[in-house]
Amino acid sequence: MSAAASTAAVDAGAATARRRLPWGGMARLTVRRILTGVPLLLTVTLGVFALAAASPFDPVRGYAGDAALTADQETLDRLAANLGVGEPFAVRWWDWLTAALRGDLGDSTVLRQPVLEVIAERAVWSALLCAVAFAVAVAVGTLLGVLAARRPGGLLDRTVTGTAYTLSAAPVFWLALLAVWFFALRLDVLPAGGLTDSGSSYVSFGDVAEHLVLPAGVLAVSQLPWFVLYVRQGVVDALAEDPVRGARARGLAERTVLVRHALRSGLLPVLTLIGSRVPELITGALLVETVFSWPGIADATVRAATAVDFQLLAALTAFATVAVLLGNLLADLLYGLFDPRVDFRDM
Amino acid sequence: MPRAIRQTVALTAAALTATACSAPGADDTRGAAPADSVVLGVATEPDTLSPLLGYGKDGNSKLFDGLLTRDADLNLEPALAEDLPEVSKDGLTYTFTLRDGVTFSDGEPLTPADVVFTYETVLDEKTNNPNRSELAAVERVRAEGSDQVVFTLAYPFAPFAARTVLPIVPQHVAGEQDPNTGAFNTSPVGTGPYVLADWRKGEKLVFKANPHYWGGEPAVKNVTMAIVPDDDVRATRLRSGDLDGAILPPNLAATFEDEADLTTYRATSYDYRAVSLPTGDPVTGDVDVRRALDLAVDRDTMVEKVLDGAGRPAYGPLPVDDDWFAKGTERAHDPAAARRILDRAGWEKGADGVLTKDGRRAAFTLYYPAGDKVRQDLALAYAGDAKKIGVEVKVESGTWDVIEPRMAKDAVLAGFGDVGDPDFGLYPLLHSSEAGDGFNNMPHYDNPAVDKALDDARRTRDAAERRAAYDTLQQELAENPGYTFLTHLDHLYVLADRWKTAGSDGLTTQVEPHEHGFAAGPWWNLEDWQPRR
Amino acid sequence: MTCERPETSATGGRPDVLAPLPVAWRSHGPRQRSWRTLRVRTSAVLTAAVVLAVLLVPPLVQLDQQAVDLAAKLRQPSWSHPFGTDDVGRDLLLRCVYGLRVSLFVGVAAALVAAVVGTAVGALAGALGGWVDRVAMRVVDALASVPHLLLGVFVVALFRPGVWPVLLSVAATHWLSTARIVRAEVLSLRGRPFVDAAISGGASRWRIAVRHLVPAVLPQAGLAAVLSVPHAMWHESALSFLGLGLPAHMASLGNLIEGARGSLLAGQWWPTLFPGLFLIVPTLAVAGLAGAWRDRIDPRRRSELML
Repeated sequence: MSAAASTAAVDAGAATARRRLPWGGMARLTVRRILTGVPLLLTVTLGVFALAAASPFDPVRGYAGDAALTADQETLDRLAANLGVGEPFAVRWWDWLTAALRGDLGDSTVLRQPVLEVIAERAVWSALLCAVAFAVAVAVGTLLGVLAARRPGGLLDRTVTGTAYTLSAAPVFWLALLAVWFFALRLDVLPAGGLTDSGSSYVSFGDVAEHLVLPAGVLAVSQLPWFVLYVRQGVVDALAEDPVRGARARGLAERTVLVRHALRSGLLPVLTLIGSRVPELITGALLVETVFSWPGIADATVRAATAVDFQLLAALTAFATVAVLLGNLLADLLYGLFDPRVDFRDM
Repeated sequence: MPRAIRQTVALTAAALTATACSAPGADDTRGAAPADSVVLGVATEPDTLSPLLGYGKDGNSKLFDGLLTRDADLNLEPALAEDLPEVSKDGLTYTFTLRDGVTFSDGEPLTPADVVFTYETVLDEKTNNPNRSELAAVERVRAEGSDQVVFTLAYPFAPFAARTVLPIVPQHVAGEQDPNTGAFNTSPVGTGPYVLADWRKGEKLVFKANPHYWGGEPAVKNVTMAIVPDDDVRATRLRSGDLDGAILPPNLAATFEDEADLTTYRATSYDYRAVSLPTGDPVTGDVDVRRALDLAVDRDTMVEKVLDGAGRPAYGPLPVDDDWFAKGTERAHDPAAARRILDRAGWEKGADGVLTKDGRRAAFTLYYPAGDKVRQDLALAYAGDAKKIGVEVKVESGTWDVIEPRMAKDAVLAGFGDVGDPDFGLYPLLHSSEAGDGFNNMPHYDNPAVDKALDDARRTRDAAERRAAYDTLQQELAENPGYTFLTHLDHLYVLADRWKTAGSDGLTTQVEPHEHGFAAGPWWNLEDWQPRR
Repeated sequence: MTCERPETSATGGRPDVLAPLPVAWRSHGPRQRSWRTLRVRTSAVLTAAVVLAVLLVPPLVQLDQQAVDLAAKLRQPSWSHPFGTDDVGRDLLLRCVYGLRVSLFVGVAAALVAAVVGTAVGALAGALGGWVDRVAMRVVDALASVPHLLLGVFVVALFRPGVWPVLLSVAATHWLSTARIVRAEVLSLRGRPFVDAAISGGASRWRIAVRHLVPAVLPQAGLAAVLSVPHAMWHESALSFLGLGLPAHMASLGNLIEGARGSLLAGQWWPTLFPGLFLIVPTLAVAGLAGAWRDRIDPRRRSELML
């Protein structure tokens, strides 16, 4: 916590002792977020059921698959009763919700597995991919952003920002395909997809790491522009602020000014960006996983969508929403910790 | 931001340790594992595993055996029967003697009653078996003594013996259930070399060797059939080692040529692609248009460019090198002749370059199933060839739910092909009585001469008469091509070099039917594979 | 100073593909200014090129983009085929132009629908306030918490197949930011003196809306609509790439990329490369122009919007 502490000392000039972690404030913010998050989640899932009710697809047929063509009416009726077809969507939603609270999210029709199991065994791989990609994007993005901000308008700045703009407009699946072509086919240095090489049920670290490079790299590159541009802007602004100008005037080394002053206030917006990038990260992961046959949530999502596997889709949507809310909360907590001027009560 | 980074690292580490031992989708064993396990990537899976509803009706079903089976050259040989059947002089009675000591995988012995039950259930109207008509000749099946089954036919049906590859199911299990919806469809019990260990629909089927198999326990103990519908994904997973073998389209199979430890197998087939030309549509039902289209298509170029050489031109449902193929029915690529036919028939060029006659444009829609690259490209090439003679073909994709209701009115890029006897494939394809029954006779083709030839060939045992009938049929079909036959495909499989069959250096393939990838392919005789030293 | 968050909330709690990017071209000096002018000009030229290509190529160039020429399959880029040919010998330049047409059509149509819906919801919520506002904003918040593409996949999965579900799914995920911006604008106007004056002067609600609110809100809504076009195109292409978008015979850019996967794995890069570039160019062009427009209609908020 030394970072926050010295930031406080320099910027506010009020605190002299080490600042203690504001556990109380953080806890209250978390509780408040949960309180707003619950109705939000309820709205999302209710909307999901409303949409499903408007769908022209016959859920019974979707559930039985091709067997519906040969099944007799009695079986279909029983299935319809089991699925709660014919009841208003609000009732079905309530049934689903109460079952979900007991830990039962229903069964996936396409994967013939309990939904919870599908998500549990795949979420880890998606989380791994996202976490690595995010870490790389934040680290590299910060570095490039700071470098670019040192001389705004300079050659490096223009190259970096120009590339960032172009990359931000490039579809991530297209980048992924080109990466497969270049690194896996042309250079043949990295595997083109999958989770492991030997593919045994037991996964070795090195194996996964090798297979992770391309998907995580592509995902990181697709998120990179936002971090580069935000950091650059933040640092440029900070360099123009009075304390920094003062520090320069006092004759501090450029490096010290940059690292100790500009960087700290310049990086604050990035923390919020981390939270708000979570939905885009999930979107990107959905596409990257598809290209690289990464056995995560995306693969399940696409298959659920293709087969109109409603139970799985509903759970995945709720799951993604929770991930987004958590991302926002995390970002706000970090923001509050790093910026001494912020009071958790204002969030 | 040390905190953020630490957070992420912790998360990553947690993710790794939490799941050190579960790899969803990675259900295989190439590399580290011994050669007694194999993971094969195929495009489709069966809807059911019950032979009563059609699973394994052409043999090689892994879980079941028929009375007879086929060898590498498609010759019939005994399986559950001790020997080939005794056929009565009039060709109406077939007697099979069952092999001794065969048991189902649940330990119960095979009896003639099981055979009778299987055939009677398939023939039962209430059983939803789409292929019932294949056994239409059977009048009666009965058990005789403790080890014989006697089939009585209504008429002499020459290819009947070839139908007895139909898998036999245990009456004591399947007889207790509704054959259409019972649990037997997903958890079958058979006499075959393998038993089903797991079936995750849409993902994989896992088979384990049957230790009590009457033919000896297979050397390959674990077989996983991974269901990967997307060609590109299958290729990626094969390359990454996730699969040991896979069926691939030609352009993707070619990318594995340089791989040292992978071999490409090419199987010729009866599997053809054809454009169905619905009789009900005034354009596609017009015999002149049909004949013109037949001459306008450039089959050689399709084979060379769309199939990358993995196939042969098709002039009818039977491959040109088949014994039954009517020599002389090949048609050359001749767009000029095609134009002459249409010209003579009164079709005139309209303002947009498309022919018209009596105010009707020579235009129709051609559907292909979405995602099937070969059919897509063939459809586009077909449209291109048609355009050159002034016929406009609008190519559209759709899922089968979209296409099925339109099959009687719109053209479809279809694929069929049966092994065994010409009757098996041709009858449902062309006979007017089959029109519109599921995927049978999709365009409602109705040609009395063809109907008669089909019936004649079905009801005689005289080889010369049958040949004459099928020759007539093929000539009639060339005169009025209700389908534009395009190509027969070669099926390509890429497989790790870790197995061989006894007495040969590698693996073998059969000449394959349309339905392939699951029962056909180099793994048609998986039970005979040996790990290579 | 309270917690001044970056402007992400204006675009639905998340940075959109373009909207929230910090505009790096602040006029700190003449060099930056000229650089910005250059960028705007380039954007204008590119936009014009895109529009011209999409509008003029089909009627002027008498070539059939569907024309199959098996003999010329998978040719490398050359003078006769600048982008090469695909695996049935169709010219890729022509295919890309037509693909851009399809993608642009879907993008513009979806953006229009989204703009209308977003403006209506935002204006109503802002003008009426009270429970209408609360409910509307809760719905917006909820929708904004679901990742765009997942919501799109969900809609398409339930209403396949065809153009309309794709349009619907793209529009359904793009009206949120417009609604928020418009609502904020309306709220800020409600507190302005001239509106107060009009109200105390006895002007009717309608009159106030027509005279004051609509003219103030329209540029913002228009800007949001324009900015969402590239994102809508991107969204459509992603859906098509997942096999959940437009039917395969409608050659949108996403479908072109999806269709080229096999060729790419076989080593042919050009059928994948060019459709992707065709997605990038209009995105950058629109971003550049919209950025300039934003600066013009609202210089006051320029610095704020940079984040």
